[in-house]
Amino acid sequence: MATRDASWLGFSLALPLPTLLVLAYLLPLAGVLAWSMSTPGGIGFGNYRQIATDPLVVSILLRTLRICVAVTLISVAIAYFLAYHLRFGSPWKKRVVLIGVLIPFWLSSLIRAFAWLMILRANGLANTFLQSTGMIAEPLALARNELGVMIGMTHFLVPYAVLPIFSSLQHIDNRLIQASRSLGAGFWRGFKDILAPLSSSGVLAATIIVFIFSLGFFVTPAVLGGGRVVMVAEYIYLQMFQLSNWGLGAALSGILMVVVVALMLALIKIVGIRRLMDTAS
Amino acid sequence: MTERTSHFTLPNMTRRQFGISAMAAAAAGAILPRSAFGADQLVVANWGGNSVTAFEQAFAEPWSKLNAGKLVVDGGGPSEGAVKTQVESGAVRWDVCDGEMYSSYRLGKDNLVEKLDYNIIDKTLVGFGDVHDYGVANYVYSYVIAFDASKFGGDPPKSWADFWDVKKYPGKRSLYKWMSANLEIALLADGVKPTELYPLNLDRALAKIAELKPHILTHWETGVESQLLLRDGEITMGQVWNTGAELVKKQTSGQVDYTFDQAVVSPSVWFVPKNNPAGRDAAMRFIRMAQDPAVQAKLMEVNGMGPVNPAANALLSPELQKISPSAPDNFNRSVLMDNKWYAENYGQALDKYTALISG
Repeated sequence: MATRDASWLGFSLALPLPTLLVLAYLLPLAGVLAWSMSTPGGIGFGNYRQIATDPLVVSILLRTLRICVAVTLISVAIAYFLAYHLRFGSPWKKRVVLIGVLIPFWLSSLIRAFAWLMILRANGLANTFLQSTGMIAEPLALARNELGVMIGMTHFLVPYAVLPIFSSLQHIDNRLIQASRSLGAGFWRGFKDILAPLSSSGVLAATIIVFIFSLGFFVTPAVLGGGRVVMVAEYIYLQMFQLSNWGLGAALSGILMVVVVALMLALIKIVGIRRLMDTAS
Repeated sequence: MTERTSHFTLPNMTRRQFGISAMAAAAAGAILPRSAFGADQLVVANWGGNSVTAFEQAFAEPWSKLNAGKLVVDGGGPSEGAVKTQVESGAVRWDVCDGEMYSSYRLGKDNLVEKLDYNIIDKTLVGFGDVHDYGVANYVYSYVIAFDASKFGGDPPKSWADFWDVKKYPGKRSLYKWMSANLEIALLADGVKPTELYPLNLDRALAKIAELKPHILTHWETGVESQLLLRDGEITMGQVWNTGAELVKKQTSGQVDYTFDQAVVSPSVWFVPKNNPAGRDAAMRFIRMAQDPAVQAKLMEVNGMGPVNPAANALLSPELQKISPSAPDNFNRSVLMDNKWYAENYGQALDKYTALISG
């Protein structure tokens, strides 16, 4: 009897959070998804049909996908390199990497985007330097295009990838590496047989987290893309606020959400919820 | 008659700061219910930045004399989506909105804004811009040609045809990110007579913009951005707001200059969201007050927003008349934008335009 009372108490104490989530999150979310099926002009799949067939929408989705995949792969590769040094480097190296990873966290994405613009534009730092050293004659088009957007996004996302990878490297027993060395394995053999398999869950978590994050990028493409690199988040904003075309905006949001949820489920399935929580903490 | 003298500073009018602060503000605006504020006040919404202080300076005093109520200026950005959100959720926070003219037509059609009461508002005071059931012009601004005078000072550009002429005037260009005025200037550059612009030939305009595309460095979004591009010499010519052009001209001591030749005059608009909290009558009286020549002149003085009441231009100092987009000398060289065309064609045209610039 006593245990039943306790569990009932626990249940009721936990109740406010789910209630809040249902009222403040799930219900409005259902409302937004309902728009995608109902506006404009009656119930139907018109908005989804438009997403599948309208060349502009398709090209924006493909561009978003292309940029996000590229940025994710580059970010995770850089992050692995940094995390490796954060785990195995000298104390001095660790400090440099940690500061380099953490400082960008405290800067707003808007400031970072404009800082990159100052560096990458035609008369910016990078081009001025390259020209003064005679390496290039004409300034390179580094910003106000997809390349600029990818540089800005990668810089933003690398720290988010470093932490899960670092965490998985941290869990690797040093003795395994020492054992492999004593058995004559070089760096690559050790990497292939010990580091890579044991850090794979961290890499996968980092990949999915960064990819999900990158899908919603808004400010960086707007600033570094020169108004030309329209990605899906910006297009949703345009439909919602400029055109008050809520149906299409809601349908695109819905699709993004399904993609994100599917990726999260895949992540949990592959890595396992317990290991994911371990990695995250 | 008191003459207005200029302390014309920092008119970084920013309309539709795409996504950067406007989105956050719009989202917040949609959530906060109006009841958080007192009842005895009137909330006027505009696009933020310096225009918030400008509205306070121009409107607060005459409004308090009229009504004794408080005037609150909210820079949340009255986009169509934001207004629709407020009206449909029943949490209307704005009494009067300084919006886009084409929005007023579209919102009127969707029954999201109040019908204006022309027994209170005086139609005859509006010399430039639209007067219709759901919106009335409140001030004007112009899209002008700004250029690097150190390069082109000897033979400055005088038309959009010159703007398109990258042989005679080499260097990069920048256009406003949104379609407004871009279609007009493209057609003017293509030789369409100002009187024959409307209805706009969309395909012809887009083809002309495509021609300039390799020379367009960027599509600017905020007034500040357009000013930086000119000041830092990243572009040699830009299509910018007259307020921004004037500011850069001052900052660079004339190294960047601009012309009102073929300027595209765009009227801004007052509209009133359906069931506005202070009541329809108070909103109408505010709009009427803002038509007063002295109030209009003050708005020009503090933020470079050109009067729509022609009588106001006479109150300006000669210095301000020179930079007012609606002063006769400037207005006669300009083209007035017809927002009815945009109201009917905006969505479809914007899709084609977005496809062109992002393609």
